Amino acid sequence: MRTSLTSRLRAAARPRTAALTAAAVASMTLAACGGGSGSSDDPGTLRFGLSAEPVTLTTGVWQGSATNFVLTLIHRGLMTLDEDGELVPGLAASVETPDPTTYVFTLHEGLTFSDGSPLTATNVKNSLEYYANPDNGSTLIAGLQDIASITADSDTQVTVTLEAPNNAFLEFLAVPTAAIVPDASLNAETPNIVGAGPFEIEEQNEGVGMTLAKFDGFYDAEDVALDEIDVAYYPDGDARANALVSGDVDMIDYVTWENFDRVGSTDGVELAAQPGPFQYVQFNVTDGPFADPLVREAVAYAINRDNALTAAFQSNGQPLEGVVTSDDPALEGLGDELWSYDPDRAKELLAEAGYPDGFSATLLATSQYTFLQDTALSVQQDLQAVGIDVTLDAPDWSGRLEKGAAGDYDLAVSGDVGIVTNPIYLLSFVQGPDNFNRSFGYANEEIAAALTEGLRATDDETRAAAYEEAFDLFATDVPFASIDTRDQAWAYSDDVEGFTNLSGFHTFFSGYTLANTSIER
Amino acid sequence: MTTYVLRRIGVGIGLVLLVLTLIFLALHLVPGDPAMLLLSQGDGGSATPDAVARVREQLGLDQPLLTQYWQFLSGALTGDLGESFRNGQAVSEAIGERLPRTLELVGLATLIAVVVGVPWGALAARRGGWFDSVTSVLTSIGVALPVFVFGALLVLLFSLELGLLPAGGFTEWGDDPARHAQLLIMPAIALAVGFASTVARMTRSAVLEMLHQDWVRTARSLGLSRRTVFRKYVLRNSLNPVVTTVGIGVGTLLGSTVLVERVFSYPGLSSLLVDAVTARDYPVVQGVVITIAVLFVSINIIVDVLYGVLDPRVRR
Repeated sequence: MRTSLTSRLRAAARPRTAALTAAAVASMTLAACGGGSGSSDDPGTLRFGLSAEPVTLTTGVWQGSATNFVLTLIHRGLMTLDEDGELVPGLAASVETPDPTTYVFTLHEGLTFSDGSPLTATNVKNSLEYYANPDNGSTLIAGLQDIASITADSDTQVTVTLEAPNNAFLEFLAVPTAAIVPDASLNAETPNIVGAGPFEIEEQNEGVGMTLAKFDGFYDAEDVALDEIDVAYYPDGDARANALVSGDVDMIDYVTWENFDRVGSTDGVELAAQPGPFQYVQFNVTDGPFADPLVREAVAYAINRDNALTAAFQSNGQPLEGVVTSDDPALEGLGDELWSYDPDRAKELLAEAGYPDGFSATLLATSQYTFLQDTALSVQQDLQAVGIDVTLDAPDWSGRLEKGAAGDYDLAVSGDVGIVTNPIYLLSFVQGPDNFNRSFGYANEEIAAALTEGLRATDDETRAAAYEEAFDLFATDVPFASIDTRDQAWAYSDDVEGFTNLSGFHTFFSGYTLANTSIER
Repeated sequence: MTTYVLRRIGVGIGLVLLVLTLIFLALHLVPGDPAMLLLSQGDGGSATPDAVARVREQLGLDQPLLTQYWQFLSGALTGDLGESFRNGQAVSEAIGERLPRTLELVGLATLIAVVVGVPWGALAARRGGWFDSVTSVLTSIGVALPVFVFGALLVLLFSLELGLLPAGGFTEWGDDPARHAQLLIMPAIALAVGFASTVARMTRSAVLEMLHQDWVRTARSLGLSRRTVFRKYVLRNSLNPVVTTVGIGVGTLLGSTVLVERVFSYPGLSSLLVDAVTARDYPVVQGVVITIAVLFVSINIIVDVLYGVLDPRVRR
């Protein structure tokens, strides 16, 4: 009875199993056939996996690296960066500097915005004036605050006069948020999507992605090889790496460090890594032990930078014993060795400051970015080793920002990047209103004055002397204690040609080089 | 019956209001300022206090908490869920875009769970022996295995090793139906595994219980074949608890999609919620939570009513 029942059941089940198998085979076949769908084989289309969905673009405001990526594609400023990261004219065909405070920009002929309207010297004047006004939340104030006047000499010529020489001025004009935009975009409400860059936004699909099409009115349109960039959002680092490795996309930004080896060792895939942002310890100097520079210096000597690198970035970065300076030959060797790992020296400094037995402190990090939390854990160990008993506080990023801005911490681990490579980026760490990522309550007018002198210098000697003075003060007053620089990587299929990951802080502006990127399938 | 249904709906509305209030309070009590976050995306940006204050004013965050609560409540009651802080999109529009995607995912996962789980569980109960033991082991693993682990394994096998399916992403049905289906299948399977295991276990124990009922023996003694008894009486009667399990499971599944949507970069309702929470995008978080609460409560009411129809005793 039992046997006959099972055999009957089997018989009954058989056709269904067969049907299921057929369905499975059919779906796999369908899958295999559909693998390379429609546009993906088009040599003019680059499929890009982006690490975040850009928020609504606001003119002039710094809105993070995903937004900057889009800005580098749809916008151009007077200046831009070439594939070697060199500063070159963008919308300006040429720049002349008859004296250190005068810049004459001659625009390319016949420039238009992607909405078809002409781009004139008046647009340049209005855009720059907008960015130079602190009320507009622009990130370029430090670079443009010296502007005395802007005049539109003709439709294609603009003269900018500065109150004092500023050797970072042109570099600020190459930042993606310094784009020249139509007058209608010069407010906080209008989405900043009309530009004069190599691409224009064709379609946006909330949460999914966006399509950018080549803009034929771009001044260098004949050199733009790509017809289209299909951007898909992959917020998860593993999912993004999977998309590239499996061939769903041709290129991704922000390869997470735990994926470096896997992506780098995949056949047919290039991993392009460059040192980018730097990590550091910031202090609350309003009261308590960290108001004393000796204690801050002790922290700088207590940090084992190699350990921090291993813990947070699988050693994909460089220990940083000072500050990041540009690769300007005039500044070579300056500021890069202010502190070293020397726990004995740290203990001596603590004793000198009156804390021979150490003390307790809170260390603010964030649970949202694992690398900052891992860095904090490493720093915690180092500080405990010299007698500072550290309690970790790791809220999510939003909580971290609020506590940082309110000074609700003793120590904090932070990551930051300069908008420009010129050392003037350090000014915001020693001057100006408090914010979440600088030492709370810290100000040093001497360092600020030396940095400003370096910015004003018109010859290399004066420049080097000014920065030497600034960095000497840095070493003993310790506005922040550096930890390391981390490698930022883009990765792409071998089919992609012409893209460069720009070095240093410029890594986030590497989207500029997509204007000269092609794809060979 | 009408009183019963009305009572359940009344309780449901009360529950949604409670959730609505709790989520409002939770959002405003947790540290984190949406204005500051909006102006401090990633590295390099450091907003001035003035700029932050201006954005707070624009977003209405400078108003007293009670005023904000009243605006939120009165808006929600009239169907106006506000606009996203991040991109100004109407929250109802954002939900309208995302909800169908999540429902499609949950619907397919449920279908897989039922189509696989019910026959599997019934067969295990009926056959017993090694098949039952294997079922027991497999379903235990299925229930215990975190959905993102299984998802990652699927990607590893079908995308990275075999290259049969895309690793993740989303394409609208209208743009490319084949790709849409390909992108749906792995997340749905990942989501279905735990659910199917639960359904199989539930079906198995329900069927086993029925098989030992006196009326089964009576039916057999009247000369009905085992097969007829099983199909007509045992299986049908076993399905009542299974229907409940499925009903509750669908509600739970709405929550489980968070991880699956992350692993597969599937832009559904859950990923909208996660992104909105990290960005402190209050209107979006509130809107999505209300939507999920309403769905969850509705499913429960439907299940309760079905139960009431099937078994008049529960209506009392």
